[in-house]
Amino acid sequence: MMRAVAMDDETPTLQELPVIEMARPMPGFPEDQRFALVHLDDAGMLGALRSLDHDGLEFLVVPAVQFFPSYAPEIEDDLVAELGITSADDVVVLLVVHAGESLASTTVNLRAPLVINTITRRAAQVILEDGSLAVAAPLVA
Amino acid sequence: MLVLSRRVGESVVVGDDVTITVLEVRGDVVRVGIAAPRSVAVHRAELLAELATENQSSASPSEDAVASLTRALRERR
Repeated sequence: MMRAVAMDDETPTLQELPVIEMARPMPGFPEDQRFALVHLDDAGMLGALRSLDHDGLEFLVVPAVQFFPSYAPEIEDDLVAELGITSADDVVVLLVVHAGESLASTTVNLRAPLVINTITRRAAQVILEDGSLAVAAPLVA
Repeated sequence: MLVLSRRVGESVVVGDDVTITVLEVRGDVVRVGIAAPRSVAVHRAELLAELATENQSSASPSEDAVASLTRALRERR
């Protein structure tokens, strides 16, 4: 078991990755295996996970550490093996954003974060056991 | 769907590696135990449905929504 903890504020946490492979499909999207991760702003606060299998399909994502610094999802050994993780430093945790009418009504899924191994480019949307983590948590207080 | 009846303490084996056992029945609540390798994901059906719905609702926001969010995040810094 490994905990994905925010290691270093200066580490760029939203790097662009041209091809990411989902080790497990995202709930609701069983056909979408491959994605590209791109920046949407200069600050590395907002990105898009774009499907390479279906044109037009994308998810907005934010690096968890930028908005929830103490959020430390547990990564089970099985997932560590599936993603080929050898060091916690290689792992980036992103949250899927549900854009609202305004920033105040925009939410993120804390119950199922996107865990990406930046070295192997393998990723999964992990379903966490903790029932207190909201599927639609406010992005900002 | 295969339908079986089980008493408390009885089990059902699924595939080679998954065993589901009825542990307790109390009123309208049935407590089940699932023995499966860690490589097999086990989740409440309604949680998976909720996650699928949330992903579907989150997918492919409008350009306006993206622009609005980008702007709001920039202003926040």
